[in-house]
Amino acid sequence: MRRRRFLQATGSAGALGLAGCLVQDDGNESTDTTISETTTGTDATGTTSETTTTAEPDLEGTITVATYESFLNAPSESYDAPGAFVKQRFEEEYPDATVEFTVPSNGLNEYIQRRQQGASVDADVYVGLNVDDLVRIDENLGDRRLFQALDTDRMERASHVRDDLDFGDPKGRALAYDTGYISLVYDERDVDAPAMLDALTTEPYAGKLLAQTAQGTDTGQAFLLWTIAEKGPDGYLDYWEQLLENDVRILGSWWDSYSAYLDDQRPMVVSYSTDQVYANRDDQNMQKHQVAFPNDEGYANPEGMGLVQGTEETDLAYAFMDFVLRGEVQRTIALANVQFPAVADEHVDLPSEFSDYAHRPENPVSLGYDQLKGNLSGWIDEWSRLVASN
Amino acid sequence: MSRAPVDSAVRTRVRRFVDDHGLAVGVAGTAVVLLLVLYVPVGVVFAEAFGVDGRLSLARFAAVLTDEFYVGALAGVLDSPFAFGEHAAAVAGFFAGFGVRTATFGPVPYPAPVLPSVETGLFGFTAWQALLSTIASVVVGLPAAYVLATFEFRGRRTLRSVTILPFVLPGILVAAGFYAAFGESGLLNDVLGVVGLHQSLLETNPLFVVILAHAFYNAPLVARVTTGAWESVDARMVETARSLGADRRRAFRDVVVPQLLPAVMASALLTFVFTFMTFPIVLALGGLQLATVEVWVFTAASNLDVPTAATLAVLETAISLGLTYAYLRYEAGRSGLGSAGGDVDREPLLPDLANLDAKRLGVLAYGAFAGVLFLAPLVALVAESLTNGSGFTLQHYAFLLDRQTTGAAFQTKPLDAILNSLAFAAGTLAVAVPMGVVVAVVSSTAGRGRTLVDALAMLPVAVSGIVFGVGLLTGLVFGIDLPGPYTLKVTGPVAVVAAHAVAAYPFVVRNVKPQLAAVDQSLVESARALGATRVRALLDVQLPLVWPGVLAGAAFAFAISMGEFDSTVILATQSSTATMPVAVERYLGRTLGPAMAMGSVLLAVTAVSFVAVDRLGGYVGEVGR
Repeated sequence: MRRRRFLQATGSAGALGLAGCLVQDDGNESTDTTISETTTGTDATGTTSETTTTAEPDLEGTITVATYESFLNAPSESYDAPGAFVKQRFEEEYPDATVEFTVPSNGLNEYIQRRQQGASVDADVYVGLNVDDLVRIDENLGDRRLFQALDTDRMERASHVRDDLDFGDPKGRALAYDTGYISLVYDERDVDAPAMLDALTTEPYAGKLLAQTAQGTDTGQAFLLWTIAEKGPDGYLDYWEQLLENDVRILGSWWDSYSAYLDDQRPMVVSYSTDQVYANRDDQNMQKHQVAFPNDEGYANPEGMGLVQGTEETDLAYAFMDFVLRGEVQRTIALANVQFPAVADEHVDLPSEFSDYAHRPENPVSLGYDQLKGNLSGWIDEWSRLVASN
Repeated sequence: MSRAPVDSAVRTRVRRFVDDHGLAVGVAGTAVVLLLVLYVPVGVVFAEAFGVDGRLSLARFAAVLTDEFYVGALAGVLDSPFAFGEHAAAVAGFFAGFGVRTATFGPVPYPAPVLPSVETGLFGFTAWQALLSTIASVVVGLPAAYVLATFEFRGRRTLRSVTILPFVLPGILVAAGFYAAFGESGLLNDVLGVVGLHQSLLETNPLFVVILAHAFYNAPLVARVTTGAWESVDARMVETARSLGADRRRAFRDVVVPQLLPAVMASALLTFVFTFMTFPIVLALGGLQLATVEVWVFTAASNLDVPTAATLAVLETAISLGLTYAYLRYEAGRSGLGSAGGDVDREPLLPDLANLDAKRLGVLAYGAFAGVLFLAPLVALVAESLTNGSGFTLQHYAFLLDRQTTGAAFQTKPLDAILNSLAFAAGTLAVAVPMGVVVAVVSSTAGRGRTLVDALAMLPVAVSGIVFGVGLLTGLVFGIDLPGPYTLKVTGPVAVVAAHAVAAYPFVVRNVKPQLAAVDQSLVESARALGATRVRALLDVQLPLVWPGVLAGAAFAFAISMGEFDSTVILATQSSTATMPVAVERYLGRTLGPAMAMGSVLLAVTAVSFVAVDRLGGYVGEVGR
């Protein structure tokens, strides 16, 4: 929370005022967008015209953005992955800049291993960091850094990010750009929404629930952490033992379990609270796409971006991250990824086809860096041994 | 064909070089590829298992072997090695964990494996499901080989070519196909629902479905390898046996079976080793409750706990290689049976309807069963690509077209993926077949220790795919420091082909070697006595005789390359080098359509390629004879 308070303190009236006006620009009308483009365009010209003030940012060059596959390649008839849009718009804004995307074949692990072995990390910005990634980085790299502390003053819109999406990282390395809430998706023709997590261990839910392994899937891990937040590190295994007795099925990936769900294998699945957005787009039966928030909770899984330690394109990288928080980009990412924007509602304008169907839990739950550090892999290990021996 | 004199001079020189040095070059080339793409990367990872704090130690192995979670009731054995009485009980408890009960699907009884209790540990369960999967694959695969080798019917050759089609399918597609075919609202239930039979096999018996899925993958392997051997069975020997008074059944048992057994056993071994290493299929269909050792290897690797991943992987490899070694000793004891060559006389499957005897009815019944098992998931997959929530649509294929024409440079384009797949597969074929033949020849002629060499040559099959991936990444992609200012780094298309070839060549070896051993040695000796070099004798005498085996091996090499995913992703870092399975993975979204459309393209392209490889190979074989 420290970083958040810091942000609020430094978010001066001037910056906020400017930001507020920019949001109106970004989000809504095309005429307003022009204004914002002109503003930023002037900045860029200022740089290239070589008026030498040291404070002038260097916005020329190629910035390599490392990310995950579906940021670039999401197949959908209505919304393509955000990658193409982000690249094109950014290069329009910063004519001397080029965005190159790279997808490390083993995700962030590849970069951690590269750092371990002293091989080069050829990226400037990483898009797609989770809290547990930060924990894993620190457990494996110790004092060696993969991401550097973010100077949020250098991003106009850093203050737009919602407070509840803070990573709790003492080193302040990640800034959220979107978030999902893990919840239950159910078929109301077959089963009722459970009011509490505890209800899932009772007879009406016997043999009803599909979940994912917490070993290496975001949703499975989030659901496990939710139960830990609820039952505590000493009580969660008992709870899971009861869940297993109640015949929960834990499949290999979100995709495995969701396709089993679509196939009517079981009437309830651990998934994202934005499920209805897809159902609406694909003209699916809404009865099969109901979202439940037991205890009025859902587990927040913010995705963040970070600045690779040692990048030579710091200015461009900050410009890029700030750009990602712009209203129009936030909107694009939200619609294409079907995740919630990271910025507060007043900074982004979402069409009703999204906001009507994307549900947010009343009480978002999440464990921060401090709680996960030193515990995460142990929790997952205990849990998976319990499941595999059952 | 008339040849220019210069051309023929070059030919003569090339021919002489091949005659004199061909085998040596082949051996050296094979060794280099194996060293670079297999032994070094895997060695780098395996070494982690043997070190604790920089010192050589077996502590990690001891920890695994005394952990009940891994080895169940056997955990105590290593803890106190000399308490024999207790161990007998522990071992009994270990094996008591297994069993098969009778379940029913509607009124139809079927054998359902018992999900073993905690007593068996992760290794025990892994071995148990691999054993069952192997039995299922042989039971399903052998009749197919019998039908393909002994009957003539329309489309036989095409069917024979496409039998290994399931082999190339990414696990994710197979899982989706199985859901769509055998799931709660799948095709099978739709059909059975008409007669009032409705049951979700996946819900009531996930282990059984996992085993079916493994049979879906591996029965074609059994069928393919065995058909190859069957087609090399010398018809004259059968005739001789018949003319000496043996009845049909006796001739089959005494002449044909001994010649098939090595092929059946070899394919069973490959199936066991494959399913022992199974990973995505169990998690997708059965879930974590059916986790195998490889699931733990994966988790450890993704937590960057390489020592644990390596320790488990070394144990997996030890078990697989141990089995392989045992099998090879058996195979060596059986070589020299009969002689390869000759053609099988096939009977027409359906001469006329009046001639439907029990045998043919059995074949038809089997055909119906195989049709459900193999076609249902494939049909379901294609159907998924042609429908959306509301009915028939071509929108998923339109997506592929659209991605091809308007996709960004960093996106995966379907046509590029098709061409990359074909290019890599052709490259793999060109590298893996000579490698496999060389290893088969060397290991069948080398003196002592050849069984060991042969077992080691099976390493690519016996080593965990995840560990192989970690090795490729940290070894070849990051680079290995060599003495002096050099770093060894291999990436890009050449590395992809090499990795595919390494994964594929054991299949060539296992297809060729048993048949090579069956070639009458006196033929080779005569050729040598008449002045032919070792290579010339191989090319002119042995290979034509074992051509069905070479062809079967080549088809596998092609299939492995077409279906390979993990090392392609690691070594081909640019999206422009993505292959079809990679594209399938990348087109996965909330709706299955686009990925299934790409999967259908993968199916179609591979099916056509298999037929082409087989026909072309058959043609080359004919010319060779």
